[in-house]
Amino acid sequence: MINRRAFLIGSITITLLGSPLFSALAEKKKKRNLVVISLRGGMDGLSAVPPIDPKLEKFRPDILVKKTLPLTSDFELHPSLKNFHNAWKENNAAIVHATNIPYTMRSHFEGQDLMESGGHKPFAEYTGWLGRGMETANLDGLAIALPMPLILRSKANLDNYFPTKLSTPSPYIMKKVASTYPEHSNLRSTIQQVMMRPYSMLSGKGSRKAHRLAGTAAKALSKADGPRVAVFDINGFDTHAAQGGSNGEHADKLYNLDKIFGTLQKNLGPTFEDTLIVTLTEFGRKIEQNGGNGTEHGYGTAVLMMGGLVKKAQVYSNWPGLNRKNLFEGQDLNSTTDARSIYCSAMAMAFETDFEKLKRQVFWNDPLIDLQDKLFNV
Amino acid sequence: MKKNFFRKVAFGIGPNEIVPENPVSWAQNQVDKVPPLIWNTQIRSGKEMLNHYAEWVYTDREILRKKYKENRQAYKEAKNKLRYKVGQQYFENLEICIRQNTALKSKSPVFERLWFFWCNHFAIIDKDAMPQFTTGPYHRETIRTNMCGSFETLLKEATLGWSMIHNLDNSESIGPHSEWGKNRRKRGKLATVNENHARELLELHTVSPSAGYSQEDVIQLSYIMAGWEHEYTKKRKECNPVRFNSKKHEPGNHKVLGKKYKQRGLSPKNKLIDVLKDLSNHPNTRRFIAFKLCRHFLTDNPTEEMIAPIISAWEKSDGNLPTIHKALLQVVYDHADNQTKFQNPEIWMLQMVHMVGGSWPLQADEMKYNFKIKPNNHQRKPRFFMKEIGYEPYRPIQPNGFSDLESDWISPELLIRRMSAPKEIARRRIALKNFEEMIEKNFDDPDEIRALIDGVKSPSTKMQLIFPSYRMLKT
Repeated sequence: MINRRAFLIGSITITLLGSPLFSALAEKKKKRNLVVISLRGGMDGLSAVPPIDPKLEKFRPDILVKKTLPLTSDFELHPSLKNFHNAWKENNAAIVHATNIPYTMRSHFEGQDLMESGGHKPFAEYTGWLGRGMETANLDGLAIALPMPLILRSKANLDNYFPTKLSTPSPYIMKKVASTYPEHSNLRSTIQQVMMRPYSMLSGKGSRKAHRLAGTAAKALSKADGPRVAVFDINGFDTHAAQGGSNGEHADKLYNLDKIFGTLQKNLGPTFEDTLIVTLTEFGRKIEQNGGNGTEHGYGTAVLMMGGLVKKAQVYSNWPGLNRKNLFEGQDLNSTTDARSIYCSAMAMAFETDFEKLKRQVFWNDPLIDLQDKLFNV
Repeated sequence: MKKNFFRKVAFGIGPNEIVPENPVSWAQNQVDKVPPLIWNTQIRSGKEMLNHYAEWVYTDREILRKKYKENRQAYKEAKNKLRYKVGQQYFENLEICIRQNTALKSKSPVFERLWFFWCNHFAIIDKDAMPQFTTGPYHRETIRTNMCGSFETLLKEATLGWSMIHNLDNSESIGPHSEWGKNRRKRGKLATVNENHARELLELHTVSPSAGYSQEDVIQLSYIMAGWEHEYTKKRKECNPVRFNSKKHEPGNHKVLGKKYKQRGLSPKNKLIDVLKDLSNHPNTRRFIAFKLCRHFLTDNPTEEMIAPIISAWEKSDGNLPTIHKALLQVVYDHADNQTKFQNPEIWMLQMVHMVGGSWPLQADEMKYNFKIKPNNHQRKPRFFMKEIGYEPYRPIQPNGFSDLESDWISPELLIRRMSAPKEIARRRIALKNFEEMIEKNFDDPDEIRALIDGVKSPSTKMQLIFPSYRMLKT
């Protein structure tokens, strides 16, 4: 019996995966959860996790982040990320810096396609890296989304849920409609899944706010026989204007992200220990501020990780520096770590599946590096 | 008598309509000429819509962002005012109304179904402000008006239209040995082709991967396409007409799918025109599109027997679309008894509305807008409702468009929406008085449907039972 459920709300997607395989193992071993948060629009890693470097002030005099939170001797944290910082102090948060998916062409549409497909050419793949990873690891899942997001698409069959404002069909309607679907048909098994749903997933009153969905997702993840994967989207990181420093457009978006971090941690309860939360974006932003106190599309950025499965509080980076000659095309923070190495390692660890196998079956055997022992507490 | 045919190729039989006696000729008679769009007020041209788009991007990027760089709140307010002024939240709703009103009230519903098919074949994905301003007009002007000529003309118009050029980034393409390419490299800048458009032209619009083309073919085709662009200007950004800029074009001869396209004197732009002609007449294109047509209208798994007559009609008519469409309609009729097709949410919803004579979509008077405040809830309903049922016609996420496969449309949440949507339609006035008659006219097994609503009084409940049922979802 496969546990399938899915939710879809607004611009937010959560995917939850459960596995029969896992249920069988549940007594012996704790299940590990993976949460991927897509930061759409191109998240500015230099604002979220600014390096301590006087050159940054020259490039960004009007949008410099002040009142930062301390991290290491080389990096600081944006003050909007308070929950993240608290986790850092507990050794439950870390950052990979100067990283990105291997895409340099600065287009959202290509970049977002590639960050979800994990591929090399925009629009060439019709499945997503997380979906393929789940397929490889034999997991089924639940998406909190109405159309299945690309990142989750694969041959694996996913359940989905998303709060709706339409009225809910009554049990009478469902039962009668179900009787018209032939036995053993896809429709019959799907409507049976629907009828087994708790009323809270049918009432049509669920909140579509991201942090509320995060709470719902976390509660589901925290159950031993619950799903194992959740995916969220947050829009609006395309800060061309009024990006600001400690306050401003980017600060607001990071605050939203931090709220999700906090809600997840709270609702995961003790299972926070067995969870990895990781961010994803299409690219970073140019190092130089533009005429509208914002930033343009760039390349390298930072990936934020949180949860008990994080090895330790660290900024893991082969830092390329901010000298002009070290910048990508003379204008962006370079990427020295293929972000897909992080995601492949994260799946290997959370799905308890061989890294090499995932690399082959999910990422075309690209030269990705196994970072599990560097980044995760396993 | 194969009543399901009227749902397979159209939107079923409405309350005041008679079941046609000769279904095939009824259907085939609808595809020879382009019927008018049905909307009570003047429809804005694509050109006008591109001006709204230009005003939106220019004012936001060049004026508001700079003017309010210190004041986020003031920026948000100014941007909202601009939103209303250019109809940024309005036009997409209006376009949905025009599209669906036309489909529902058309004297040629079969043509409208084919229109939906071709819009999706030459899909424009949700990019920039395209769904809000230009994709609707592209469907109306570029696709619709070219559906009664040759496939070659349709392909040419879609490929070289502003929407596709912008959607697939061909303006970003710079031939490495072009004048611009050389200049850029002198300044230490990159100069390469963007392969997106060339790849999709082969993979999705014409020959498909079954033609066995290589990456080199894609690159060579990108060279041929380099230079087809919209100019980028400060005042209008990307919103300029498509032109051929020979300064970005990769000079020389290029080979695609084994054939050489020669640089002929001063009009290298004809290289692409020649390629499009050859791609239109390529056997893999015929086969691929015949397959796709059968997959959309008849079954997820078309057989050789189904696609052969369509290929043959294509060959005999040199790709004349009405001839191809007629062959398709005959094939669908011939196989109607033993094939079922899962209907996507939009087509299914329109069938429901048509069969009960529902009051959807909103009409021109209800969609009247003053461009000063946010469109009211009512006027934003078309998008809202389409989003809720899982099909926003101007927002496919990848260039292969919306899927025609059942497996992509059956999921728990999408199925719930099929059970919820009928109530929304039932809330508004419906013309249907006699469900018995509707069932008799539309279903080959009326007893089964009658039994489903046996003893049910309320029209709303009847709708909630009939429309998510098996025979309606799978036609």
